[in-house]
Amino acid sequence: MDDRLAQLLHRLLPDVEHVSIEALEPIPGGFSRETFRFDARVRRGGEEEVLPLILRKDPPAAAALLHTSRQTEHELLEAIRTHTNVPVSASYGCEMDPSVFGEPAMVIQRMHGSGHTSNLFHDGPDVDQADDVMAHLCELMAELHTADISKLNVGGKLSDPRDVGIDTSSWDAYMDSTFDYYIRSYPDLAYDPIAMIILDGSLWLRRQKPRPLPLAVVHGDFNPANFLYADGKVTALIDWENTRIGDPREDLGWMVAMDNMSNTTVMSHPKQKGGFLAYYNELTGFDITPEELGYFMIFGTMNIAVPITSAVKRRVTKEHTQFLHLYLLQPSLPTLVAFTQLLGYPGATPDSDPGANA
Amino acid sequence: MNTQPGPDGLIEGVIIGLEQEVLPFVSSEKAYATVAMMQSILQGVRQMLPVYDAYLVEEHNSMTSTLRDAAAALDGVSGPEADRIRERAATLGHLPDLPAPHDREALIDAHTRLGRALEASILDLDTIQRSPDTAEAGDRSLVAIRAHLAPRVARDTAVISVSAGMIGRG
Repeated sequence: MDDRLAQLLHRLLPDVEHVSIEALEPIPGGFSRETFRFDARVRRGGEEEVLPLILRKDPPAAAALLHTSRQTEHELLEAIRTHTNVPVSASYGCEMDPSVFGEPAMVIQRMHGSGHTSNLFHDGPDVDQADDVMAHLCELMAELHTADISKLNVGGKLSDPRDVGIDTSSWDAYMDSTFDYYIRSYPDLAYDPIAMIILDGSLWLRRQKPRPLPLAVVHGDFNPANFLYADGKVTALIDWENTRIGDPREDLGWMVAMDNMSNTTVMSHPKQKGGFLAYYNELTGFDITPEELGYFMIFGTMNIAVPITSAVKRRVTKEHTQFLHLYLLQPSLPTLVAFTQLLGYPGATPDSDPGANA
Repeated sequence: MNTQPGPDGLIEGVIIGLEQEVLPFVSSEKAYATVAMMQSILQGVRQMLPVYDAYLVEEHNSMTSTLRDAAAALDGVSGPEADRIRERAATLGHLPDLPAPHDREALIDAHTRLGRALEASILDLDTIQRSPDTAEAGDRSLVAIRAHLAPRVARDTAVISVSAGMIGRG
């Protein structure tokens, strides 16, 4: 792979005279892409420098958790770097020809900072940084959600990046076309009848449409593992493969779900601001209520659950044999419990009102 | 409980995962052999699971008559050892036979069929709930299905979850 990487970097960095690849190794934990860290020792203009880089490669199609384009991700990262203060990797470019690395791939800058975000919670060694890091994280999310869509949505590619018929011409059109996508996709993800809780949630979303907010660029996988930090600051927001136009409450709702699944407490910080939601409302003026957050926890979870659970079903029916997909069934169970609680299932919580959210 | 994947599908998945995602990266011969032993044990468990309950019942019922037969063969023999064998035959040897367990495949099929029926009903109810004339009855009907699902998924989570959090993330 070293030679192919060197050839790609020669193409992406035409002013470079020589490239050698060093310390190439896989990065564990990237669930949706295969990622490798490496250093590129390059010489240009007679000067030698070392570029810390990451190769992000699509998995085989049947095992893919998210079907999105690396070219779109490349253009998005460069647009974010150009038009916002949100820290993201520089993207050097893509190799979309699958014959080179097996699947399409992209090369991005390896950012400074710790990715061991679990150290910020409970009795972790960086718990003293948690409030500052989460305050900064909240400020970055508020900036992203209030950024000018026209500058980030290069070529309109974020409007329907999965090509599933999403209509972003208005908030209502976006919501209605997304409900249709969720409900239409159910047969593809129903690996077991217990998934009917997901179906119930999708239908409930359509019956209970909330008030509109301005559409925004949403990260799409805003979760406790998708940022790096150092010295009380976020040094990078990572994994922009699911970014698209959407309702900004989706990112917050998905964070609630992932806090629950990851045993983290992002949403309870920054404590001096009354928690993540209160600070976000202060920054944006969106005045999002806890009830809306509950609604968008289901809505945002569905957006990830449709492709991921579809990939799980393909594993259960043996279209592919990757182990990760079977494992995901285990930590995702609490999300089904959370669905039953948010939907007011009788007995789901000690004081639930039967039928309150039917 | 999930029927798809069930315990057999999960164990099979671990065996395949070890084969495809672990063994190719194992460089120590000892570790390689240990992984292969783990696969062998797991495959043994897969083969044991379908017959385990049935064989236990069959063997239980056979052991009661065996205790009686063993005692009967000691007719005329005296002494504390023979007395203890006769005592076991008179007590444990007369335990009632246990019923044969359900055929697991038939149980899974029946369970799945009912689950799919509830799933289809949720879809039908959505149409009923969206009609003003029938919305209230539709809501009540959905609550009945939800009342079945909530304790079930909570129990599944309590049984299946191993540790908080998601391995490999952050």
